[in-house]
Amino acid sequence: MDSAKLKSEIKSLIVTELNLAGKDPASIDDDAPLFGDGLGLDSLDALQLAISIEEKFGVRIPDGDAARPIFGSVSALAAHVAAARATA
Amino acid sequence: MITSLGQGREATWQRLVRGDRAIGPVGLFDVQGQRSRIAGEARGVTLPESGDAQAAWSRTSAMALAAAREAISMARLDVRGRRVGLVVGATTGGMFETEALLAELHVKPSARDALVAMLSHPLTSTGDRLEESLGPFARVRTLCSACSSGANALVVAASWLLAGEVDAVVAGGSDGLCRLTFTGFNALGAIDPEPCRPFDRRRHGLTLGEGAGFVVLERSSAAKGRSAAPIVELAGWALGAEAHHITNPESDGAVVAALIGRAVARSKIELADVGYVNAHGTGTLLNDPVEARALTRALGARIGEIPVSSSKAQIGHTLGAAGAIEAVITAMAIERQMLPPTAGLDEPDPACALLHVPHRGRPAKVRAAISNSFGFGGMDTVLVLTEPELAPPMSDARCVVVITGAAALTPSGLVDARGAAGLLDAPSHGGTVVDAADLEGRLDGPRARRLDRPARLGAVVVDHALTDAGANAGTADAARAHRANENIGVVIGSAFGSVDASAAFMHRLFEKGPRLASPAEFPNLVPSSPVGHVSIYLGLRGPVFSTADLATSGESAFVAAAELVAVGEADCIVAGSVEEKSGIVERILAALFARPRTTAPSARAEGAAAIVVESRDAAEARGAAIVARLEQTVEWRGAGEGALAALRAPHDPSRALVVLARANGGVDAMLAPTPWSKCPRATCDGAGEHEGLGAIAIAAAVGRLALGEVREVLVIGLARGRGYAIVLAAP
Repeated sequence: MDSAKLKSEIKSLIVTELNLAGKDPASIDDDAPLFGDGLGLDSLDALQLAISIEEKFGVRIPDGDAARPIFGSVSALAAHVAAARATA
Repeated sequence: MITSLGQGREATWQRLVRGDRAIGPVGLFDVQGQRSRIAGEARGVTLPESGDAQAAWSRTSAMALAAAREAISMARLDVRGRRVGLVVGATTGGMFETEALLAELHVKPSARDALVAMLSHPLTSTGDRLEESLGPFARVRTLCSACSSGANALVVAASWLLAGEVDAVVAGGSDGLCRLTFTGFNALGAIDPEPCRPFDRRRHGLTLGEGAGFVVLERSSAAKGRSAAPIVELAGWALGAEAHHITNPESDGAVVAALIGRAVARSKIELADVGYVNAHGTGTLLNDPVEARALTRALGARIGEIPVSSSKAQIGHTLGAAGAIEAVITAMAIERQMLPPTAGLDEPDPACALLHVPHRGRPAKVRAAISNSFGFGGMDTVLVLTEPELAPPMSDARCVVVITGAAALTPSGLVDARGAAGLLDAPSHGGTVVDAADLEGRLDGPRARRLDRPARLGAVVVDHALTDAGANAGTADAARAHRANENIGVVIGSAFGSVDASAAFMHRLFEKGPRLASPAEFPNLVPSSPVGHVSIYLGLRGPVFSTADLATSGESAFVAAAELVAVGEADCIVAGSVEEKSGIVERILAALFARPRTTAPSARAEGAAAIVVESRDAAEARGAAIVARLEQTVEWRGAGEGALAALRAPHDPSRALVVLARANGGVDAMLAPTPWSKCPRATCDGAGEHEGLGAIAIAAAVGRLALGEVREVLVIGLARGRGYAIVLAAP
């Protein structure tokens, strides 16, 4: 899967799984932080997003602090998913 | 009390002060694939025999029976000889048993026996089994405020005693372990794979436990009158909501600190007498430092001299039972002049700088003690217990309770009190779900994103009722000030909670395993979740909890709110009901009514209602127009023969009305001996059928009074083995 398509799928997943009704997935910036000031998501959203990614892409997000950089942005998340799939 | 440490308070206490930990591998159910595999399971829980499948026992109810029996026997209380009430706090009810039925239905969705048995274990079932085994009780209340439920049961009991409604109350909490809570807390990453270590720098979360704690509460004069020796006094309490987040505590602990301050102030004891704090102390990364901060904020420099411990490292977090079990432990600390420890506390976290009691209990002078309980959705309760006669007597002044507004949300639309009057004797709308325009159009999308359907119904109807009550205020400024009043509470009744969402959570667990359980979905499965979301969404920080009482759940919430306002616990509480349309409840009813010789129920619909209950003084102070005054409430268990004899007569039967939540053949006989039998009647037909209809009937009755059509209304709500009668009058 090419990188743009993967990012777009992740954005749609964020909108549907975290009930961001009314948010256009395309309006999410590839490199903006997802949590805190960015999209305004919190730790409960991070947990939900982790299982959603695992269910959809078969890629595990590590527990705890190791997840922080992966959840840094849509680009970072897409890079983690792509790398994990390449080594699978 | 029953805990994983032992059956009975003595067994638990002996091991507790030794520092024993009763936490081990889970044997009750499969924990394959879970992050943690340990819990504090209660041993030797035996289920009493029941001939009736509808009255089957759950572990939760069996533990409650054992603990309540112990308390009653210690108090040498004759339940049948006096007016004795029962209050039960719980979160899971018979979920453990229901999960086995869901597993069966997962494989065979039409299994009729499993479907019908699903009705055996609602939250109310524990109170019902105790009523059958130990009663009759004068009144019974089932409430849930997540992990503060057990503590709130004691607060409700105290309000009954202050109001003079009963002579004594058996109050407590019970919660059994189940896959749902175990999986849910694991999905939240809130469970330590090792036995939990509250306040320790290596803590990684909580450990779940199960158990029951019950007490007998009575006025000290009543105890003296029957030569009973009080163990401790419940001298003070405070309950309130953080209105912050559904799972995370407010980081500065401001609300908890304020509640500790209020509870101590209410007790009128000297701070110097506080010799122990039994902390909520779950062992999660977030809870413990926030609790330490709140204690420090509330108690100032004194906190350095007050020993603090958490019992959860030994018995686990017993959820709905925790507040009651820990109240019993706190009482025993005063009774025995002995501090229970925090087990496993080797390296105290500097962020939790408190005077800890590590590893083993130790003797100490304890004249008064505090017990903290915090629940999902930020529903917090603080209790202050003292040695007998330390605190001055409590005032039992009662407020006049009035209604200042109401709203109803049904398939026919969202209406205020006056509009709700139109639901009486109206043809059923025919629709079964609330229109999206009445729901989504009224919610702020991004802020409401965590609210599931029951929470959405609740938020819209509570908001509209407050608008109705605010619109009646003297000026626009007064209306705004009322809306900004953070001390407004919310009490919402729901018979079965989120049945469909709980079933979906379990089916997903059966299908995909525990790793993929939804952490965001789990907090919405607690019965108090809708009311918690409403509190957060609308910023309401007064008393917040849910009640359950089968098809009189709306009435139970209204009466619970009114009794707290009457004794001055809050100036204003919005009370009501929320019932979403449930495919599973409909399947169960279809299976039930497939039996011959029973009539089909009328069309089921979803709906919600809210009534703004206020003290007259507070309503007058803000210049609100009072639309109704609460004159009397009567509630009963059993068939209700003679229950209405205590009703006051209508002053003018020609201008009085009897409102029935739903048509019921038994009402004629009940009303016959009373002067209300001559009054016209109206039935709440326009809202379809659901368990929360009683709150819609009350909103409609308030509407009739607001319209000036009648001067007095008697609302009657009946369900299997229980009933409520509520008299409202024009102000």
